[in-house]
Amino acid sequence: MKTCIACGMPMKEAADFAGGDPEKDYCVYCARPDGTMQSFEEKKAGMTEFIVRTQGFDEKAAAKQAEDAMRMLPAWKEYFER
Amino acid sequence: MESKRQLQKENTRRRIMEAAYQVYSAQGFTAATAAIAKEAGISHGAVFVHFPTLNELLTCLTQDFADRLGLELHELTEKSGDMEALLKSHLDILSRYEDFYIRLITEKSLLPEDAQTILAGLQTTAAYHFSQVLDREIKNRTVKAIPSHMAFNTWLGLVHYYLQNKDSFSPEGPLLLRYGPELTSTFLNLIQF
Repeated sequence: MKTCIACGMPMKEAADFAGGDPEKDYCVYCARPDGTMQSFEEKKAGMTEFIVRTQGFDEKAAAKQAEDAMRMLPAWKEYFER
Repeated sequence: MESKRQLQKENTRRRIMEAAYQVYSAQGFTAATAAIAKEAGISHGAVFVHFPTLNELLTCLTQDFADRLGLELHELTEKSGDMEALLKSHLDILSRYEDFYIRLITEKSLLPEDAQTILAGLQTTAAYHFSQVLDREIKNRTVKAIPSHMAFNTWLGLVHYYLQNKDSFSPEGPLLLRYGPELTSTFLNLIQF
């Protein structure tokens, strides 16, 4: 089973994939409205906001958790190797 | 021949992971790697052939656990209609890994940084599924308009308090099997109209 290269979410159903396309390597939540994958900054901001909203963490701590999680995902490998 | 060797290698790796899961569940993360080797039925040195450092073993084990739990959480939200079903399923999943999960939440500081990140991600996954169902129920006016983070933290805080004090609540048997129904009904009473 595929997992999203940008957030790690398991993708089983077509609806889980960006644009409903199982050929895609990223999920529906990591796609922009036009179907392209979100940038590093967009994804980090989205994850940080999500952690604050659903877990109530301090914003800086949430941003750190988002970045630590992204460090382990293939989509952002190059970003951290820079 | 190469593929057979590869398969054997993968089997041994899996055996070490299973043994580590059992040993750490029973003894905690300070358990000796020699105990893991004994449980797996292999030499002590063979553990390090597959996992050169202890941190690597702990990180792989946490990742494997998070993958399994994450997938089960993902599947249950697709099936679960309401909050009651979600809470029951959440506890059902945790109860299957109860001893290991208790180690993860009580001995987090003993884990390497990467494993702690994986564990944090696991709770974010749980929070995601929780918020999906909560938002839906708030919209349907079956649940009070409680901020998502407070509802999730109250639930997780309650469950973790019982798990962290298992020696007082349920010293001789599985805790969630015994208290799960009471925890679920109490939480539902607090959030529902």
